[in-house]
Amino acid sequence: MFGFLLGEALRDLRRAGRVAVSAIVLITLSLAALGAFWLLSSNLAEAVVQFRERVKIVVYLKREPSSGESRALVERVRALPGVAVVRYVGKAEALGTLKQVLGKDAAVADALPQNPLPASLEITPTAEGATLEGARALVMRLGALPETDEVGGGVEWMEQFAHGRRLLWLFGLGVGAVLAAAAILTVTTATTLVLHARRDEMEIMRLVGAPEHVVRLPLLLQGMMQGLLGAMLAIWLLVGCYAILGPRVEPLVRETLGLARLTFLRPHNVAFLMLAGTLLGGVGGILARGRAEP
Amino acid sequence: MIELHRVSKVYSVGPVKVPALSDVSFRVGKGEFVTLCGPSGAGKTTLLRLLYREEIPTEGEIEVLRQDVTALTRSQVAALRRSIGIVFQDAKLLPGRTVYENVAFVLRVLGTPRREITGRVFDALRAVGLSARAQAYPPQLSQGEAQRAALARAVARKPLLLIADEPTGNLDEGMAAEVIEIVRDIWAGGTTVLFATHQATLAAALKQRTLSLQNGRLLKDEG
Ligand SMILES: Nc1ncnc2c1ncn2[C@@H]1O[C@H](COP(=O)(O)OP(=O)(O)OP(=O)(O)O)[C@@H](O)[C@H]1O
Ligand SMILES: [Mg+2]
Repeated sequence: MFGFLLGEALRDLRRAGRVAVSAIVLITLSLAALGAFWLLSSNLAEAVVQFRERVKIVVYLKREPSSGESRALVERVRALPGVAVVRYVGKAEALGTLKQVLGKDAAVADALPQNPLPASLEITPTAEGATLEGARALVMRLGALPETDEVGGGVEWMEQFAHGRRLLWLFGLGVGAVLAAAAILTVTTATTLVLHARRDEMEIMRLVGAPEHVVRLPLLLQGMMQGLLGAMLAIWLLVGCYAILGPRVEPLVRETLGLARLTFLRPHNVAFLMLAGTLLGGVGGILARGRAEP
Repeated sequence: MIELHRVSKVYSVGPVKVPALSDVSFRVGKGEFVTLCGPSGAGKTTLLRLLYREEIPTEGEIEVLRQDVTALTRSQVAALRRSIGIVFQDAKLLPGRTVYENVAFVLRVLGTPRREITGRVFDALRAVGLSARAQAYPPQLSQGEAQRAALARAVARKPLLLIADEPTGNLDEGMAAEVIEIVRDIWAGGTTVLFATHQATLAAALKQRTLSLQNGRLLKDEG
């Protein structure tokens, strides 16, 4: 029986022709948009994690503390809210780093009469400390320490960061709106086409006393097949775009986001898209059922 | 088998009331062949549609196969219809399917096992003399062939009751006679038959019990 119902559903799909194709295309587009957004946002989320790891706040100290003092200071700062890791950088270490950076010009540093670099604390904030507000509060707290000369780094990063996330959020909203409109359109189109194509069959089925599920199931199956087809096309589309555009975008991504490469959707995302397509099409079938009621 | 008690049907078309049947009562026993005769607009189709619950009577009671049709649930209606073979006035063949597929379609939706289908479809097509046209599509059929295909579809599942709404409607005499012979054969097989026609001569030629309808009233019940 199921084979028969599936056959009926396939037949409708063929018969509905152009309208079925446009319904599938609409489902494809909306799912491709969803998938693309997903791909971007998961990559951005990855970038966010990396940002956070790289964000450092540096506290320059008024004078170099003794090793006992510095250990106590590190302990005190580590206890502050929003602080994940604290590293003490003494004057000598700072100069060493500078020499490394200067490379073959390091002799310039050697010529200095005394070490001009201050001792400092390198602070990695926690997740809360890495938000814009959290970072501001943290900078204030660090600035208030009696040992602090100046607090640097971090906040400009934070600003950019907050801006990026706002953009991401807006982008998500826009895609969501387009997606919703496309999906509604798809479902409506599917509803009308399915009803039209099956009207005669449904009338005959009812008149000869077919059980209600037999009358209705082909509609549902047909909708679900449309949705699944749309989802598969969407995934192909995404794979294609990823393969073609990915290598081109990657240098840009490396510079702006600091990501080595764009990652594609994970298997569970792909499975979700397939499911979403099938459901989307199924909803069209169910709506068609609803309207078919006398 | 069928029992109508003071049945009336009034269609409401917006504010307009169209009376189609008034105060109709009769009874049909198992195995009978009953002709329903009346001019166009007399209410024949309406009466038949009441029997398989496509319409609900405005007044009166209807019993078909020992069931009060007005009181049935949706699934009971479906069960009732499975016992009734119907030839619709407009045939209602699915144009995109061959004659074979049209007959098989009904068997399949009613859950006939797959391996029985071919045999039963060809039995039915042979009974109406249409086996040679099994692969033709309805638009390629003559009117007589189309009516016979509809008949084959109605009897393929061996109904207890056959309702035929003007199966000879647009046919010439020779073709009409053929269709009538087929219906007679089906009746001879034990099926109760209700046969509607607007041709009084045809009704007379059938020499069976005849219900005469006019303007929605039952004028005569004779034979
Ligand atoms: N669905 C409907 N809505 C409104 N009026 C209807 C409807 N169906 C039939 N009628 C009216 O009811 C009356 C009886 O119609 P019916 O179709 O039962 O006649 P009939 O005897 O089958 O005629 P014919 O021989 O032309 O098929 C007619 O006046 C018709 O216009
Ligand atoms: Mg009629």
